Amino acid sequence: MTREALERSIIRLIRIAGILFFAVIVAFPFYWMIVSSLRPLEEILMNPANLGLDFRKIDLSAYYDVLFDHGFIRYILNSLYVSIITVALSLTLATVGGYAVTRLRFRGQSFMSYSILIIYMFPAIVLVIPLYVIFSHMGFRDSINVLILVYLAQTLPVALYMLRSYFKTLPLEMENAGLIDGCSRFGVIWRIIIPLSAPALASVALYTFMIAWNEFLFAFMFLDTPDKFTLSRGVVQLAGSVHLSKQLVMAASVLVTLPILLLFLFFERYLVRGMTSGAMKG
Amino acid sequence: MASLTLKGIGKRFGKTAALSGVDLQVEDGKFCVLLGPSGCGKSTLLNVIAGLVPQDKGTVELDGHSVDRLAPRDRDVAMVFQSYALYPHMTVAKNLGFGLRMRGVPKATIRKKVLDTATLLGIDDLLNRKPRELSGGQRQRVAMGRALVRKPKLFLLDEPLSNLDARLRANVRLELKQLHSQLKTTIVYVTHDQVEAMTLGEKVVVMRDGAVRQTGRPETIYSFPADTFVATFIGSPEMNLYRGMILRNGERPVFQGREFHMDMGNLRLNLVGRGVDLGFRPEDVRIVEAGAGTLPVKVEMISDVGSEKFIHTQIGQEHLTLRAPKDASFRPDEIINLTIDLTRLHIFQKGVRVD
Repeated sequence: MTREALERSIIRLIRIAGILFFAVIVAFPFYWMIVSSLRPLEEILMNPANLGLDFRKIDLSAYYDVLFDHGFIRYILNSLYVSIITVALSLTLATVGGYAVTRLRFRGQSFMSYSILIIYMFPAIVLVIPLYVIFSHMGFRDSINVLILVYLAQTLPVALYMLRSYFKTLPLEMENAGLIDGCSRFGVIWRIIIPLSAPALASVALYTFMIAWNEFLFAFMFLDTPDKFTLSRGVVQLAGSVHLSKQLVMAASVLVTLPILLLFLFFERYLVRGMTSGAMKG
Repeated sequence: MASLTLKGIGKRFGKTAALSGVDLQVEDGKFCVLLGPSGCGKSTLLNVIAGLVPQDKGTVELDGHSVDRLAPRDRDVAMVFQSYALYPHMTVAKNLGFGLRMRGVPKATIRKKVLDTATLLGIDDLLNRKPRELSGGQRQRVAMGRALVRKPKLFLLDEPLSNLDARLRANVRLELKQLHSQLKTTIVYVTHDQVEAMTLGEKVVVMRDGAVRQTGRPETIYSFPADTFVATFIGSPEMNLYRGMILRNGERPVFQGREFHMDMGNLRLNLVGRGVDLGFRPEDVRIVEAGAGTLPVKVEMISDVGSEKFIHTQIGQEHLTLRAPKDASFRPDEIINLTIDLTRLHIFQKGVRVD
């Protein structure tokens, strides 16, 4: 074996070992969660360390209980509502705002452009108490729509930042062509910028959805009425309830995780696809 | 089709003046070329005409009506960009029809016009392709087609050939000229390539530092350059230009340069005692036997372009380039004698042509 071939096979070995190592670290809790949610309660109690899953004894009753007896249908709808509205608002505002700071000239443009990320200097935990007080006084606290506002404030800076960087790569001449061909400024955004920004918009949407879907701190602090709980808040409610049943919590956790996972698998191809190739000279 | 009039166009970007007081008149159906080195403001001027860049001063008129308050889409102009700027997410047919669609033209009409234009440009077999599936030359055609299909009042072309390879560029240049004589549209064409300007333009506008230095027919600009910039910018190899003074030798005026002096023949202008720049083009020099009034120069280098030869020579410290037939043979360091065609002399005073 030549030295080069040897080096190459060693590197390959290290790479495989590394991937395996991290895959196990990430996948193991996930696996445990799914397996635990599918096993009957007695079996978990009798043999909690058993990681295997007996396919003849798969028990979906935990999912049924969580969804219908513990109100998780409601929580899923609430979470979907919060997340989808947040994504829609975040995409709209970030597209218009990101376009404005990249292409339009106005007073304070560069300050605006650079100060977008300043909001990230304040961790959520610093904001949650004052916001709790403010929203309590205003009587808005126990409300899903207030959560949307908070999530929007959390995601918009990154969304703006991501879209701004992407818009900068789009050629100006193409927009000029659109303006001459008969588009208004909004027409250019709608017919040219947005179709070409599909990969960036997809990643912004995914990012925003994940933040809104997974967020716990504000949901925990702000929401009191079980009818308004989001999923993450619901799982905690369930885990803290008196007759805690492990497989119910596991089933609830699967319900929280699965949509994000599926969403990511679906959007992944959009994230990597570059669409501008072929626009310009060549 | 329309006539275009620019009156006193001025534009600043921060502290630098991109355009200062540009006046221009392009008659209906004329092919006008804006020519100048990069950074001379020619592309900015084109953007001002299109309405993409608002001017600080002056007015743009189409057919005698000011269009200053109109957005680009309302000016009824079409533009071909250097980078082509095709919409990558649309097929060729959609690219061509986009402007019509934005103007609410019925679908059937769009389809017909797109097909007509594509046929005219020989790209009708590409209509269902996306821009990334096209070659550079094909993209260029699509960009042209997108402008043509709308039949606008005015065509603006911003260095449309500069991304093509040399052979293709020559072909497309010819086609463009044919297309223009066929369609008789008003065109404003920006380029830094003097060959494009001279071959395409019915009217050439030479620009420098945001100002028009000379406007005229290509042959006028070549034969009677208005100043030393135009004189050296147009023509390749460039005009020989020497600084010196006109002196009197008896009754005859004589040019006295740093390295040589030359009898000016029956120069009618009274420039005696004035400092001038004297210019003559490489083709207005002839190689002769040594004699009275001939100019001896030392051959330095010969560039053979195939159809002819350019001989770079030295007079003392100064350079002189001349054109010779392709069969001429000289060796470096050889001394040759020249006469200069006195009827083709260019005389500039303080940089400006006098005659």
